Amino acid sequence: LGKLPVEPSSIDFLICISRSHEYPGGSWFDEISRALKPGGTLLVYKILQSAPRETEKRQLLLAGFLDAKGVQRSSNAVLTVVVSSIVKAKKASWKIGTSFALKKGTKAPVKLQIDDDSDLIDEDSLLTEEDLKKPQIPVGDCEIGTTKKACKNCTCGRAEEEEKVKLGLTTEQLNNPQSSCGSCGLGDAFRCGTCPYKGLPPFKLGEKVSLSSNFLVADI
Amino acid sequence: MGEKSRKPLLVLYASQTGNALDAAERVGREAERRGCPVILSSMDEFDANSLTLEKTVIFVVSTTGQGDAPDAMKVFWKYLLQKNLPKSWLEGVHYAVFGLGDSGYQKFNFVAKKLDRRLHDLGASAIVERGLGDDQHPSGYEGALDPWMTSLWRVLYQINPTFFPHGPDYIPPTSQLLDQPKYQIVYHELGLLQAGLSVVSDSKSPAMEIERARSMSPAKLSYDKSTPDAFLKMVRNEPLTRKGCGRDVRHFEFEFFPSTISYDVGDVLEVLPSQNPDLVDAFIQRCNLDPEAFITVCPKQRGSHHLLDGSKSGQALPINLKKYVELAMDVTSASPRRYFFEVMSYFATAEHEKERLEYFVSPEGRDDLYQYNQKERRTVLEVLEDFPSVQMPFEWLVELVPPLRKRAFSIASSPSAHPNQVHLTVSVVSWTTPFKRKRMGLCSSWLASLDPLQGVTIPAWFHKGSLPAPPPSLPLILIGPGTGCAPFRGFLAERAAQDTSSSAAPIMFFFGCRNEGDDFLYRDLWLSHSHDGGLLSEARGGGFYVAFSRDQPQKVYVQHKMREQSQKIWAALSEGGAAIYVAGSSTNMPSDVMLAVEEIISKEGGVAREAAAVLIRRLERDGKYHVEAWS
Repeated sequence: LGKLPVEPSSIDFLICISRSHEYPGGSWFDEISRALKPGGTLLVYKILQSAPRETEKRQLLLAGFLDAKGVQRSSNAVLTVVVSSIVKAKKASWKIGTSFALKKGTKAPVKLQIDDDSDLIDEDSLLTEEDLKKPQIPVGDCEIGTTKKACKNCTCGRAEEEEKVKLGLTTEQLNNPQSSCGSCGLGDAFRCGTCPYKGLPPFKLGEKVSLSSNFLVADI
Repeated sequence: MGEKSRKPLLVLYASQTGNALDAAERVGREAERRGCPVILSSMDEFDANSLTLEKTVIFVVSTTGQGDAPDAMKVFWKYLLQKNLPKSWLEGVHYAVFGLGDSGYQKFNFVAKKLDRRLHDLGASAIVERGLGDDQHPSGYEGALDPWMTSLWRVLYQINPTFFPHGPDYIPPTSQLLDQPKYQIVYHELGLLQAGLSVVSDSKSPAMEIERARSMSPAKLSYDKSTPDAFLKMVRNEPLTRKGCGRDVRHFEFEFFPSTISYDVGDVLEVLPSQNPDLVDAFIQRCNLDPEAFITVCPKQRGSHHLLDGSKSGQALPINLKKYVELAMDVTSASPRRYFFEVMSYFATAEHEKERLEYFVSPEGRDDLYQYNQKERRTVLEVLEDFPSVQMPFEWLVELVPPLRKRAFSIASSPSAHPNQVHLTVSVVSWTTPFKRKRMGLCSSWLASLDPLQGVTIPAWFHKGSLPAPPPSLPLILIGPGTGCAPFRGFLAERAAQDTSSSAAPIMFFFGCRNEGDDFLYRDLWLSHSHDGGLLSEARGGGFYVAFSRDQPQKVYVQHKMREQSQKIWAALSEGGAAIYVAGSSTNMPSDVMLAVEEIISKEGGVAREAAAVLIRRLERDGKYHVEAWS
């Protein structure tokens, strides 16, 4: 069995007509594959049906060809020989030695084939009695000064109470700030929970505390 | 038994506002510090079908206010809900779920709970009990995340010791703890730029500047459009509330360009707020940045999982640094997260600052950090000013400063009645913090401060919301207390315009506010439509009902008014085929309204409550019940 007298990857379309009972075997396939261009088509005509179509297709696939399918004989076939089966296959369209990076997932959102919502289970059925209970964190404790601030759309009146609360500092404390702990001037990050200067920007001891633009004016 | 290969740990997250992303990144970081490689991916970038190929998956999902899954999870979740998935589909897959939610809402962490159950039903095995983070906890979701992670590492180690070569409690020595920044900043010589492309003149175009800045930003989401759909010019800014009553709600009218943009009633307008230029300057000075520099932001190659369009950012045109800060980095309103403080601690040169920061980041200091930072809504600028010795390199700032987010509003105008214009009804957000500082919402107060004569242009995006525009023949039951009335102003105007050509179906509108004299928004408009055969008039078969919650000792809300009209509502639903639309800004209102509808159906239709609930679900499925709730 010699080689086909062609350059590698040069043939677009190769027709193999076989009379023998055996299918073109592995070495033949290698040669055909070498000759075919990437993406080129191979047609195999069998004179005598020797194996079921499926087997032929599988053998082609195992040999590295893609899209193996049976082909109906067209009424204006060129061949004068009676053929019992025609199978068509394709050589893979990448060259030997090519590589490409694996996609790490698509950028477009994954498309679904589900059209009808009735194919989905009822998600609310996934919840148990236990699930429907909320954890016992004391809500309703809306006093100012405790942890959570008033909600943006406060309906209980806390937000207005908060607005009315004034600073608890005397003028003396503002004009001449002193700090026994030494941390009051450093800013909120360092102040104790009970520091009278809480909420004010950092300042230097002894210097008048500026109720700066950051504080009372809107943070626009 | 063969050696178990060390596959990376897969962490899938679904984040709406960025919190679940932060939590997921933290999980990833902690795993990597213990020696376990991690793949971090948003659910909308992961093919649910390949879940079966995974050995161990960690899910971090948040639940939105109304109990819904974040947008990024919708497709994935739908996939999992398919009836024909076999019970053993995920056999052999180990998983753990952490949810972020708020127990102030009735549907607390429903998404995480449902996901946990569904995965289990599909044959996967939970390796730890689901963790449920809660905003109401003294330290927010971190309160639940810390202990959950501790048990997670222990269990993972038991299952496969090769996950953590040094054991599950390993903490690398401090010097190795600082990770690499994920992004690099490339500085460009202005001279070269001018010689090359006409970048400088291009960059004068506001649309291009915005596009460039926002597409380079690390926080860009895959489905987010960087280029604005339109620019707005304000033509009217009017208060709708009585001055000094405690609430400031404004009516804004804008013209938009290009005029080829079209929208529908019920749509949503997103606006990019402007930051106070003095504060931006203060930030740039504080961080020793060069406001005149031109930069591009590129991800560092090592396994970057943030979705930046690779081709774009590699050859992205440079942008002025100050512009980038203005347009993409929120330094004046959003609070940084815990990791920001952690990285700060490495760059603090003053001993007491470093100590304090390390304390804040430790488990002991977690609650105090939450008090100082999240509860107070500290801004990045404020935090940096409180720790003056910290000099953080710009690439860290770019990665860690919260992205400037667009703000969404329901459109209050109608394209037919207000051609080329878009109107908004905006409540100016203001509150006092626990430390008695007065704070205001960035976007709402900025819009309120604008004067039409200034001619400021506002970048805007239009998109669909949860309220589809109703055809004129569909009878409507609208419930929209407070600013919830905004989209319905649009509905009414549109229908009035349609009414001139052919008779449109009537509307029952339920409005609510605090006091008739203080915040009865658009009073004259509603009243005019409820007389003389208007769409809200009884004569037409419509109605206008107002609940003034505080005008009497007991609270009266929209649902009370609805119950008073139960017969009419039932007739509209059962005979008229009416659709129900609910809009507004309250945690409980939508569920209170739904309960009222359930009661009405049960009472007037003569069916049990369960049957009424089923009927409501059918209405939802048939597109006859819509809710747009914002917080």
